[in-house]
Amino acid sequence: MNNEAFTQLVDANYAPLYRFALSLARNASDAGDLVQQTFFIWATKGHGLRELSKAKSWLFTTLYREFLRGRRRDARSTSLEDLPPGEKEPAAEDVDRVSRIDSAAVMAALQAVDEAFRAPLTLFYIEDMSYQEIAETIDVPIGTVMSRLSRGKAQLRMALENSGSSSSKVLPFPNPKGARAQ
Amino acid sequence: MTTQEAKFILSAFRPNGSDTSNPAFAGALQAAAGDPLLGEWFARSRAHDAAVAAKLGEIAVPAGLRGAILAGARVSARPRRIGFGFAWAAGFAAAAALAFVVVTMRAPVRAEGVSAAFAGFAIGDVVNGKHGGTGEPSGALVASLQAKGSPMPGPDRIDFDKLRDTGCRTLSFAGHDVIEVCFLRDGTLFHLYVYRSDGPSGDFAAKGPSFIARAAGAAAVWSDRKFDYAVATSAGVDALRRLF
Repeated sequence: MNNEAFTQLVDANYAPLYRFALSLARNASDAGDLVQQTFFIWATKGHGLRELSKAKSWLFTTLYREFLRGRRRDARSTSLEDLPPGEKEPAAEDVDRVSRIDSAAVMAALQAVDEAFRAPLTLFYIEDMSYQEIAETIDVPIGTVMSRLSRGKAQLRMALENSGSSSSKVLPFPNPKGARAQ
Repeated sequence: MTTQEAKFILSAFRPNGSDTSNPAFAGALQAAAGDPLLGEWFARSRAHDAAVAAKLGEIAVPAGLRGAILAGARVSARPRRIGFGFAWAAGFAAAAALAFVVVTMRAPVRAEGVSAAFAGFAIGDVVNGKHGGTGEPSGALVASLQAKGSPMPGPDRIDFDKLRDTGCRTLSFAGHDVIEVCFLRDGTLFHLYVYRSDGPSGDFAAKGPSFIARAAGAAAVWSDRKFDYAVATSAGVDALRRLF
């Protein structure tokens, strides 16, 4: 792959890869490292990929694997069976809530979702991937993806609701001396 | 199909409608069309998904990230196509030069790839990293790094395991643990990155460091038998040259 093609590959994918990494790693520094590492691996391995049409999928899969590999071995992982089911149904006000809050708060809510749900959820939202594509990318069965999307969305709605309710508790900025609220 | 089953399936339906023609959704879509309550739920769910997707698409990417990727990875990306004649055509020196990358990356790259990628990694971390970890920097090493005229470290001054516990941060580069140690010299902040070398590679410059300058910063990379090193700063390559 020549430099121009590589630059095009980077330009087409680094932003969504970063957002995916940010949702997984939960901080900008580690997310940046993950993206750089992913392209580094591409530079050393991925150019051998015969079908460039699969480059995007390859990059997301590689980033996800690097994330899993880089996690501390002793980190406590939660069995899916232990996770709460997440029953929050979408309500009309949920849509307004998302529209009102800024993108960083939505990302923070996504980062609060259990890790097993976060990867499929992010690929669904950011990359607009189908459930089949998500299953291939993170290497889990299709049924598992559907289950994780369903439960992950419920968790996300709860996290967004908490985000919205905590922001509503912020006290209004005090009026300057003598000024009256209009 | 029960309502719960339909909701379960429709949770995977993309908000832009790309899945409309997917037969896997046909039953659930039909159920939503025939059940006003389920239909309302589905409409709300799609609107919510669309709103979340739009917000996440607004997340800004760090300004230096693209440059750091290109600085690091692109230089190492140039593949060498190995034909049947490679084995006899390549001399011992070339084989030795490639040994490191073959072992560590399991794919052939140009000889200068790893050092340039490491330099790009270091520059990228200077720009994007959150520096100042919780560990106390190793005092003796930092003191010597900060002393004017002191040479950059070699294997005799690196206790990798100790640094892992007391360095600024531990990062990851190409499957290696990289220790970062931050130091000030002449008022300029530098970041030293060290990882255990996989052995002599010929990739890093044999004599002295190689300097790589990018818009976001500069790095010097070198290696010895035990470790590969990079020193990076946002102060420019001239500041780096004064270290050596």
